[in-house]
Amino acid sequence: MTQAPVLSTEKITKRFGNVAALNQVSFDVRPGEVHALCGENGAGKSTLMKVLSGQHPYGSYDGVVHVGGKVARFRDVRDSESKGIAIVHQELSLIDSLTVAENIALGKFPRRGWRIDWPATNAMAARTLSRSQVKISPETMVSNLGVGQQQLIEFARALAKHPRILILDEPSAALTSEEIHTLLEEVRNLRTQNVACIYISHKLDEVKKVADRITVLRDGSSVTTRAANSFPIAEIIKHMVGREIKDVYPAREESKQGTRLLEVRDLHAESSLDHHVALKGISLSVQAGEVLGIGGLMGAGRSELLMHLYGIWGCTTQGQVIVDGAPYSERTPSESIRRGMMLVTENRKRFGLVPRESVHRNLSLSSLPAVAPRGKIDAVAERTRNGAMLKKLHFRALSSESEARQLSGGNQQKLVLGRGLLADPRIVLLDEPTRGVDVGARREIYEEIKRLAKEGRAVVVVSSELPELIGVSDRIVMMNEGRTTGSFTAGEFHQDQLMAAALGK
Amino acid sequence: MNIPIDADYENRRVSLQSLAMPLILAGVWTFFAFANPQFLSPRNLSMLMIELSVTATLAIGMLLIIVCGHIDLSAGSGVGLLGGIAAVLVFHTHLPSPAALGLALLVGIALWGLMGLAIVRLKIQAFIITLGGLLIFKGLFWLVIRSSTVPVMGGEQANLYSLLTTWYVPERASFSGLAVVAAVITWVTLKDRGIRKASGLPVDSTELVVLKTLVTIQTLLLAILICNLYRGLPLSFLILCAVGLTVDFVVRHTPFGRYLYAIGGNEEAALACGVPVSRTVITAFSIMGAVVALTGFMQTAYAGASTTTVGDLMELDAIAACVIGGASLKGGRGTVLGALMGGLIMASLLNGMTLLAVAPEIKLIIRGTVLVVAVLLDVRFRQGS
Repeated sequence: MTQAPVLSTEKITKRFGNVAALNQVSFDVRPGEVHALCGENGAGKSTLMKVLSGQHPYGSYDGVVHVGGKVARFRDVRDSESKGIAIVHQELSLIDSLTVAENIALGKFPRRGWRIDWPATNAMAARTLSRSQVKISPETMVSNLGVGQQQLIEFARALAKHPRILILDEPSAALTSEEIHTLLEEVRNLRTQNVACIYISHKLDEVKKVADRITVLRDGSSVTTRAANSFPIAEIIKHMVGREIKDVYPAREESKQGTRLLEVRDLHAESSLDHHVALKGISLSVQAGEVLGIGGLMGAGRSELLMHLYGIWGCTTQGQVIVDGAPYSERTPSESIRRGMMLVTENRKRFGLVPRESVHRNLSLSSLPAVAPRGKIDAVAERTRNGAMLKKLHFRALSSESEARQLSGGNQQKLVLGRGLLADPRIVLLDEPTRGVDVGARREIYEEIKRLAKEGRAVVVVSSELPELIGVSDRIVMMNEGRTTGSFTAGEFHQDQLMAAALGK
Repeated sequence: MNIPIDADYENRRVSLQSLAMPLILAGVWTFFAFANPQFLSPRNLSMLMIELSVTATLAIGMLLIIVCGHIDLSAGSGVGLLGGIAAVLVFHTHLPSPAALGLALLVGIALWGLMGLAIVRLKIQAFIITLGGLLIFKGLFWLVIRSSTVPVMGGEQANLYSLLTTWYVPERASFSGLAVVAAVITWVTLKDRGIRKASGLPVDSTELVVLKTLVTIQTLLLAILICNLYRGLPLSFLILCAVGLTVDFVVRHTPFGRYLYAIGGNEEAALACGVPVSRTVITAFSIMGAVVALTGFMQTAYAGASTTTVGDLMELDAIAACVIGGASLKGGRGTVLGALMGGLIMASLLNGMTLLAVAPEIKLIIRGTVLVVAVLLDVRFRQGS
């Protein structure tokens, strides 16, 4: 481990207006090393990666980037790629309407004369995929793949460029534990190929498993760099937030059982597009003042269940949904909201945000009639109410006039949550409420979940992270391939039993 | 906690775009003024005002459709058809003109409501539905007027229909009207500011408020003074003001307006947020139907009679006006003030070229070129700021 770094940065400072997103950051990574980068949302990780990948071109920042011992002056992404830097973004960049092979070959299709050589294209894609042990046919349409599979394809595509430095930005955010296992194995393999890897993740146990060194960023500065094996998770968190978080999960309180607000009886449903049957017998119920966790592997149908209950996915083929004692069959979002049921979506980009509208206008969208008693929006009442909600959720954007697309993941999540809460729902459906959210903001979201239950609402939380489910739920239901396979109450949560239920055993 | 530092979101959007437009407008006006001094004569400006009323009213209706991410290609045919129906009812059926106009207005609302319904229920793109509308309405139009010329008056006697573009507000009335409007503007501004301040919300600086109010009132005064040099303020201009103020209020201060922008910005998210997407789109189209009818009445009255070419290509002028005014054809962006400015640019161009007796072929080419250049400039300006 005494090799010269293949990439290093020297006192990088990047400003947006008066705000320094990066402040004199120095950082390096050696060949065959996995260097993890940790920090809260907004700590500057993404900005640093944009400097390294050429998205912020040379000249737009101060400081120096060295690649292979030479000063690098990237003009754009293509330029940094030609110097051997490949990046896999957190946001998926595959094109839905093309096949896997077309996505992989895009921009460099093998040709026969002026035509695309399709057999060669597919063969090339198959080689790329098999090298990364991804078992997906190159001719599959990307739209038919889950988020996890798409992520693995992105990884394979980046590796196919034979990079010297591979940047992975939150690669595991959408993966199941099995897929994460495969991914970490892949990352470890990079060592033998002498590829340097910069690994960004909020999942610290994962970081500990895979990284050689860990650098913590906070408020745009690099706080510390240490060897991973001598850097306990508690210490990492302390450095990330600048304060000690003893326990990420709020203390459990005895929940008092109220009336049954939501009941699902033997629900079957299929996609209205391709008739894929995602729900094959779901039974569960939630009471006022209770947090029900729903766990399971990717593809178990958890998101589909919540979206189906709310009315934005699929059609019911069998079974019944009962809200507040009354059967509820013709489900639409506006009717769900009227009956007091709200979904806080996992897919913020698609269902959650109007990207070019302000925070303020996004926040109001589900609850405008409440501030427009006689048809005219009362601007003062609206601002006051929204301001109070943002404050309650510890929203940290520069201005509520920022456009939603400019926000960090954590703030976007709070925005979607805040909008749901402004509609004052009695039943709150939360789909992966902490996806892409940093440690500090996580704690705030968990506390909000507790508070919602305490106020007598019924809360349903879907999560891929077992510790999170165990930490926030009063009861947990596990799902496997569209069926509920087990129900556990607080006190009998054991990771191995829950996992067995998730695997359908 | 950093809640809003500066003025209204909407205001900011306008100030960003309105940099380019007045410059373009000034350029167009200067050119025509030099090319033919008659351009700035009270008579011509008065006529320009009527032409502006027609173009901008339709553009403001079109704005509602464009903001929610749709488009209306049938507006021009509709202008001909609805104006034609009213003319036939007056000239052939001898209906009193208010009843004829009212009936044609209802037909407009119904037809556009149906198109809206088709778009949301059958899930067919507005482009296709309204392209069908363009052809069907044109055919209906020619059937209704039997491809002939139908005057807007039954006899020699002027009626409400013909007066739309031939009646002018008397000088005295226009000044007292302005006084009332100025008082209302000042009162509303002060009241709104007072409430915002009392609630600790951001307000514009005193200078800016005074400046804005003064400029608004002065512009109106100037317009009235010029009009009074000819025959006075045209009735059609009052119709434009009424439509403009109503739509501006609706898009900025009602849930319906917010829903339009949300649907245009991300329809799936709007639906998931509980926005009544179908109802909003159908309502927007129904309002458009009423606006098309009003435009049809004014345009037909201005021509004096309904003929087969009334309304030709007007949908494209309306779309161009919206886009020049900063609206995005992808939806989610656009303001009434922008559409009004865009309409003024398009109307000035047409008026000036007619005055210079430019050949129709060249007129079309110039209108197209100006549209592309104006949008290009606007994009550049916005990147710069």
